[in-house]
Amino acid sequence: MFGLIVRKELREILGSPRFAATFAMISLLIVLAFYLGARDYLDQRQRYEAAVAENLRQLEGQTDWLDVRPAIFLPPEPLASLVTGISNDIGRNVNVLGMGALRATESRFNEDPVLAVFRFLDLEFLFQVVLSLFAVLFGFDLISGEKERGTLRLALSAAVPRATWILGKLTGAFLGLTVPLLIPITLGALTVAVMGLPMSAGDWLRLALVVAAGLLYVGAFLGLSVLVSCATHRSSTSFLVLLVLWVLAVMVAPRSAVLLAARSVDVPSLDENLSRLGRLRSQLWAEDRRAIDRYFADQLDHDSPTPEEAQAMVGRFNGFFQELAEERNRRVEELDADLGEQRLNRQAIQERLAFGLARLSPAAAFSIAAVELAGTALDLPRRYLDQARAYQEIFERFQKEKSGGQSSGGVRMVVRFADSEAEEEVAIDPAELPAFAPEPRSTAEAIRGAVPDLGLLALFNALFFAGGFVAFLRYDVR
Amino acid sequence: MESKQPLLEAANLSKRYEDDVLALDEISFQVAPGEIYAMLGGNGAGKTTTIHLFLNFIEPTAGEARIDGIATHVEPLRAKERVAYVSENVALYPHFTALQNLDFFVRLHGRSDLDRDGYRKALSRVGLQEDAHDKRLKGFSKGMRQKCALAIAILKDAPAILLDEPTSGLDPQAGMEFTKLLGELRDEGKAILMSTHDIFRAKQIADTIGIMRQGRLVMERSQAELAGEDLEALYVGYMAGPADGSERSVEAAACSA
Repeated sequence: MFGLIVRKELREILGSPRFAATFAMISLLIVLAFYLGARDYLDQRQRYEAAVAENLRQLEGQTDWLDVRPAIFLPPEPLASLVTGISNDIGRNVNVLGMGALRATESRFNEDPVLAVFRFLDLEFLFQVVLSLFAVLFGFDLISGEKERGTLRLALSAAVPRATWILGKLTGAFLGLTVPLLIPITLGALTVAVMGLPMSAGDWLRLALVVAAGLLYVGAFLGLSVLVSCATHRSSTSFLVLLVLWVLAVMVAPRSAVLLAARSVDVPSLDENLSRLGRLRSQLWAEDRRAIDRYFADQLDHDSPTPEEAQAMVGRFNGFFQELAEERNRRVEELDADLGEQRLNRQAIQERLAFGLARLSPAAAFSIAAVELAGTALDLPRRYLDQARAYQEIFERFQKEKSGGQSSGGVRMVVRFADSEAEEEVAIDPAELPAFAPEPRSTAEAIRGAVPDLGLLALFNALFFAGGFVAFLRYDVR
Repeated sequence: MESKQPLLEAANLSKRYEDDVLALDEISFQVAPGEIYAMLGGNGAGKTTTIHLFLNFIEPTAGEARIDGIATHVEPLRAKERVAYVSENVALYPHFTALQNLDFFVRLHGRSDLDRDGYRKALSRVGLQEDAHDKRLKGFSKGMRQKCALAIAILKDAPAILLDEPTSGLDPQAGMEFTKLLGELRDEGKAILMSTHDIFRAKQIADTIGIMRQGRLVMERSQAELAGEDLEALYVGYMAGPADGSERSVEAAACSA
């Protein structure tokens, strides 16, 4: 009996013109999303490689590693092109000095502002907006429509337990909507493979989990639709109620949660922090300038030093400058770390509140799960800057090794004597520059980050389906 | 005359809704195998409520609706195995063909021994043209859909059949064919309970006629008892008279009609 009802439901959904029309459109959008994502990744990869090459080219002809200020760039990730998250909103370029605070600048949207207007057609958008509507479109009349057609009375005049009927309907509808979606998704994945995106096994697994999260999300909206359909007696009423719920869940709840959290928890602005850091820098630099003046007054006791004396003096000056710079940097970094930590702590409270409220909506739970899996969640800029700082340390060590204990970021003195024998300057080898090779987020870490929201989506499914089930047992079929 | 065990029986059946509306007030009647019982009455008289109680779509406030001796609100699934149902305005599944609709509902009613030939025979028996068998129902007229529903009821082969306004909206030809078919089903021994507004068809085919008004069965007479009587005048009289259906007022009303 159960199988018969499931088969009927499948046949009814798959055989309807409504399905043919919407499925064709959705399939096209899904394949397009994969194609555009892959195309975008390849373009970004090309730009990234060109930028890295240009960065190395700029080093050619330089003779002193202390003059080198390499730029590092956030490398594009294949999954980030399919589920963009905040990857296009964050700064991608960092100029690295041997010491000093690092700032990432030039986001993708900063580079191409037009993209920020309509955002990207990625998998997250497709599932969150288009496929949830798809579920509503097929779920709103699942019960009330049968009542209107009179088929519910005819079916329940048979010796069919109501529980079997509703379970068969739910199963059939879920399979009827989700299984066909696997066809365009598979085609999209094949497109990505054919276009040569370097997807690792971990990337494929994470993509599969994004799809699974999407199907759970579609299931949640289907369950909600059945619940509403069981609570109403006319399909037009059911559709109207669902439309309002959809707008609230997809459009209003996540945005309102963020606004509410922003009003409830104050986070010091980045500008405010930068301004405090700037003030400290100016103050320290003024102090250091006085120290340098004193140093010069004490040390410059030769009217015309010999080249050997001058070189020894320059060595001492540079050592002194390096000490000053390191101390200045230490204090700036200390304040930067303090301000950063305070900001991060407040931000973490704000994020927890915003996400906690937003998670009342399946749309937010899905979004968070998808971006966690794709590695484009809110922690992306933090991870990138952490890796940039790690690189800065490597670069500082490298500079010191190459420059006899000095690194860039401070002040140094160079003295040349017109009558001295010109020291032959040797060009540096750019290939020696340590490469910036950030580790992408590990699969295990990504999955761990997504598990709570995957669980929440499963809970939404269970609640809505159980609600629909119970409501149908009490449904007035007349 | 041999007394047969009733297949359909309403015993002091009452239904009061949550809004305190008394839809059915202690009605009792029986339908034996090979008998057609027609319930006449205006809108809101309680005809459809009675049928819904037999199908356990709602539960009685008092009394019982029994199918083959089984109280429907006590053992609904067992009771439903013994009854087929045709409702008013059946749309069935519009994107399924007539055969696909039959296949689903007949299997749902527990019969999986039939093949497409069996379905075609049933559809032909109810008068659905052969070229319509493989067509989707969305283009069918009401009469054609009603024929499909009747074919489903026939194929279930249940001993009792419940018909809720089955001829409403049918053209005269289809109505006549339907009446003929009901006669055949009665001859096969089915107990048929039919709610209808159609006084002439009721008089033509029913063995017993009950008139309902405001949830009460105000008159019940056999075909023999009605012989020579003007059923239409009687019906109008009962509709105009008091809800208790007291004989004096009804007869007076019938005379004036």
